[in-house]
Amino acid sequence: MLQVRNLTRRFGDKTAVDSVTFDIPSGQMTGFVGANGAGKTTTMRMIMGVLSTTAGEILLDGEPLTAEARSSFGYMPEERGLYPKQPILDQLVYLGQLHRMSGAAARKGAIELLERFGLGGRTKDKLESLSLGNQQRVQIAASLLHKPTVLILDEPFSGLDPVAVDSMVELLRERTSAGVPVLFSSHQLDLVDRLCDNMVVLQQGKVIASGTGDDLRAQAVNRHRITISPDAGWVRDEPGVRVLDVAGPTAILQFDDDDARQRLLATALTRGSVEEFAPIRPSLSEIYREVTAA
Amino acid sequence: MSTVSRPTPAWAIVTLREVMVKARDRSYLISTLVTLVLIVGVVVFNAYMSTKAEEYTVAVNDSAATAVVDLAHETGQADGGNTSFEAVVASSAEGAEELVSSEEADAALTRDADGQWMLTGNEELSSGLQQGMTEALRAYALEINAGEAGTTSEALLEGSEFETALLNGNAENQFVAQFTGFVFGFLFYMAAIIFGMAIATSVLEEKQNRVVEILATAIPIRQLLYGKVAGNTILAMIQLALYAGAALLALTFTGTADSVSTIIPASGWFLVFFLVGFLILASLWAMLGSMASRSEDLNNSSGPVLTVIIAALFAGLFAKGQLLVVASFVPVISTVAMPVRMLSSEIPLWETFVSLAIALAAAYALLRFGEKIYRRAVMQGGGALTLRKAMKLEQ
Repeated sequence: MLQVRNLTRRFGDKTAVDSVTFDIPSGQMTGFVGANGAGKTTTMRMIMGVLSTTAGEILLDGEPLTAEARSSFGYMPEERGLYPKQPILDQLVYLGQLHRMSGAAARKGAIELLERFGLGGRTKDKLESLSLGNQQRVQIAASLLHKPTVLILDEPFSGLDPVAVDSMVELLRERTSAGVPVLFSSHQLDLVDRLCDNMVVLQQGKVIASGTGDDLRAQAVNRHRITISPDAGWVRDEPGVRVLDVAGPTAILQFDDDDARQRLLATALTRGSVEEFAPIRPSLSEIYREVTAA
Repeated sequence: MSTVSRPTPAWAIVTLREVMVKARDRSYLISTLVTLVLIVGVVVFNAYMSTKAEEYTVAVNDSAATAVVDLAHETGQADGGNTSFEAVVASSAEGAEELVSSEEADAALTRDADGQWMLTGNEELSSGLQQGMTEALRAYALEINAGEAGTTSEALLEGSEFETALLNGNAENQFVAQFTGFVFGFLFYMAAIIFGMAIATSVLEEKQNRVVEILATAIPIRQLLYGKVAGNTILAMIQLALYAGAALLALTFTGTADSVSTIIPASGWFLVFFLVGFLILASLWAMLGSMASRSEDLNNSSGPVLTVIIAALFAGLFAKGQLLVVASFVPVISTVAMPVRMLSSEIPLWETFVSLAIALAAAYALLRFGEKIYRRAVMQGGGALTLRKAMKLEQ
């Protein structure tokens, strides 16, 4: 498990990351979301040691993170970085070797990864001759090649077609099932929703929400849907109930407290036949919108 | 992670890559090959020119002129010379001139009624011919005049020659030193620019493409710098060895290697100084690369380094006396100046070692300083940095 504790970074007077604390549990995917400029990239660069921290610490399995341990992490920077004029296999092998792989192991691993991304026939091509999406795949291969112990991926899905997203997801799942903690940032909330066990929401350098999906849902505002025939219009007059939407027999409600909910249900049973009364499970993207709007 | 322990240190992997990338670069290979061919070509051409036999045919119409031509031939063949003169006898002065205009002879040597000698060419008189005939005629006239005065030409010329000596060095070395100094200076100049630029562009490439962020997480960034400097230094030394080897081989095969033995010790020292001088410049080039943000920035910022390199070249070419002594202790400039000094005169060995020590100290200091700048600047996005800005950067 990777733990980020009170991480802070100031650029001059500006505090880009302000005492950020969150966990990246082993074997789980943690989605890192927030608007542009919220501090996601700065946080990730600090975790990777590319940027020094103003304050705070990063713990790996309870111990302060060392450069040595960091050298086995996999990192995909926000601005993609590889050698445009080099054959793709050569540069992957080079990066693998720098990550302490033997030349032969690096070559074998790189070819395997490239084949999984459908680039098996292009190993000798220069990076710049590939389409942007394919360059992105090579970039991903570079971060996964050395079987990293932790994965820090800045916007790994941007620019990928749905098929590539699927193979990327498959690769990440393999890594998480091997117990690797994965942190990735993304603006594609549906993807975060689909993939992530955890989510960390950053706003203006601060964590405004974090935890597992269920945690977040529990914290999220409690909403219910009720369907009652013939008409649900009467709910407007109930005390302790805020009505978000009414359409014929169906209403979306928010209760001030548990009593209000029980009261409404009891009333409903006397007013007609209740066909549905259920909490609404918000998607993570809805939770995100909610917490960032607040 | 599959822990295969690192077989080689990180900097060595970087070094190997720098060398391999260059070794596969077609334009680099071609330019090296062309330079090699040029070097061998120049040596062979020089050898050919210096051993080429000069043959002149001179038309004459009397025995005196024949004697002059024979005398010229004797002088031309003396001391391993390769110039030959042959007399073609014509019946008259007009006949001799006809031989010249029909190009059967290169010139005609005739006398008019007053005994005035005349050397007649067709369209031109080559300087070799003219010089040979001038000397031969002077010697001939001296002989005749001496005989008429009842003495000999040897007696007349007695005591008219001196031997030469220099307080420092000797005359032959002076010429060799100058020539070798030019070669050293030029080799250093080329290597410093070609491979220096290669370091700067390679640093900049990684900065521009942000590969450096991935590299920096895998290995200490210092190792990256060391690897680059080592790689390009090796490349420069290999190229230097290739050029020097080709030149020496060509010199030996063409039999013009007389002076080779005198320049070998200084050449050995040149290699040592070259290595240290290049290391200093390599750190500078790496700094320039890390502070630039586009390759255009390099054109602007490389000025000061180029000035130092050109100073080193000029020191090898033109510096004399006290100036050369000073130059031979200034790092980088000493790369050429010290070996040149060693060629042209005897200097105490401690001076060489002091100069080398100063250069080494400078190389170490600059590598450490360059490392600081590199580490800060190479992670920095945005525009080009000045040295002052780069030093203020936090990491």
